[in-house]
Amino acid sequence: MAGKEQLLTHLPTEFGGLEAGPIQRVEHELEPWEKRCHALADVLDFHKIINTEEKRRGVEALGAEMVGKLTYYERWIVAFTNILFEKGILTPDQVARKVEDVTARLKATPPA
Amino acid sequence: MPEHEHDHDNGHAHDHGGAHAHPGVGSSDYVPGYFEILERSITELLVERKLIGPDEIRRQIEVLDSRTPALGAKVVARAWVDAGFRKRLLANGRAACEELGITFYDDTGLIVLENTDTVHNLVVCTLCSCYPRPVLGLPPDWYKLKPYRARAVSEPRAVLAEFGTIIPDDVEVRVSDSTAQVRYLVLPKRPPGTENLTEEQLAAIVTRDAMIGVIPVEIRPDHRQAK
Repeated sequence: MAGKEQLLTHLPTEFGGLEAGPIQRVEHELEPWEKRCHALADVLDFHKIINTEEKRRGVEALGAEMVGKLTYYERWIVAFTNILFEKGILTPDQVARKVEDVTARLKATPPA
Repeated sequence: MPEHEHDHDNGHAHDHGGAHAHPGVGSSDYVPGYFEILERSITELLVERKLIGPDEIRRQIEVLDSRTPALGAKVVARAWVDAGFRKRLLANGRAACEELGITFYDDTGLIVLENTDTVHNLVVCTLCSCYPRPVLGLPPDWYKLKPYRARAVSEPRAVLAEFGTIIPDDVEVRVSDSTAQVRYLVLPKRPPGTENLTEEQLAAIVTRDAMIGVIPVEIRPDHRQAK
């Protein structure tokens, strides 16, 4: 099934039944920020801000290129950001300003 | 940046352009990458707006750290020694785990799948990485990567063989695809030769991968001599 129809039958995150290589038996300890990102997902779910299914669809909506190139938790944080924009909870301007603030602060006092 | 070898869901090699530093653990010249800065920014904004509490992320990390496959192993060992518990576990996985003091911090249901002489169960999440986190902790990377998610549903016996698990042809292989609401845990077969083990010793031989269904529980040499 290599034709264009696969774009419809399998959205970017729908892997079930596709051909793929050998199982990669890899594991890694989460980086501190990845663990915070996971905790953030749970907390967003507890507060009914973003639930698991919304998160999954948010990742799917990133499209094949981002799904393919970003790492697991990179996809999550980008999906959360987009969903928070869609829901009108945050605006791109607010996030852009905060990213500048945080970047400047981390430059001044790097994390241990 | 966490751009080491891990976690590319598509199974393709990443673009390791070499533009970013690969800091050592605990290195003082650690430079947070763009996505970490985004994570910090989103959390700060949500806290400032009082949408989440200032301490909630840290507290949830404590919860995540408290969940390991040892909890699932405790459930399995209890089911092996207590027929009444086993029955309740198979009828309602979540309620039976809660009976053992394992709380579910999310609103997921749990279905426990029993391996028998005629059925072998395997758990996957083809769409993402749903996993019985309250009882097993976070999933291994291979569970989240494309090859496992793609092939577990179409050629489970070949996938199992790659884990060294050969299922005889007369044993049915059942694959359960997890969802946001419903998670699965495999109740492995109790291996022969474990009749004299205590519940605690039994729990010690139950592994995470056996509860995902990719390997059987095997008796360890140090337990074989157990009296």
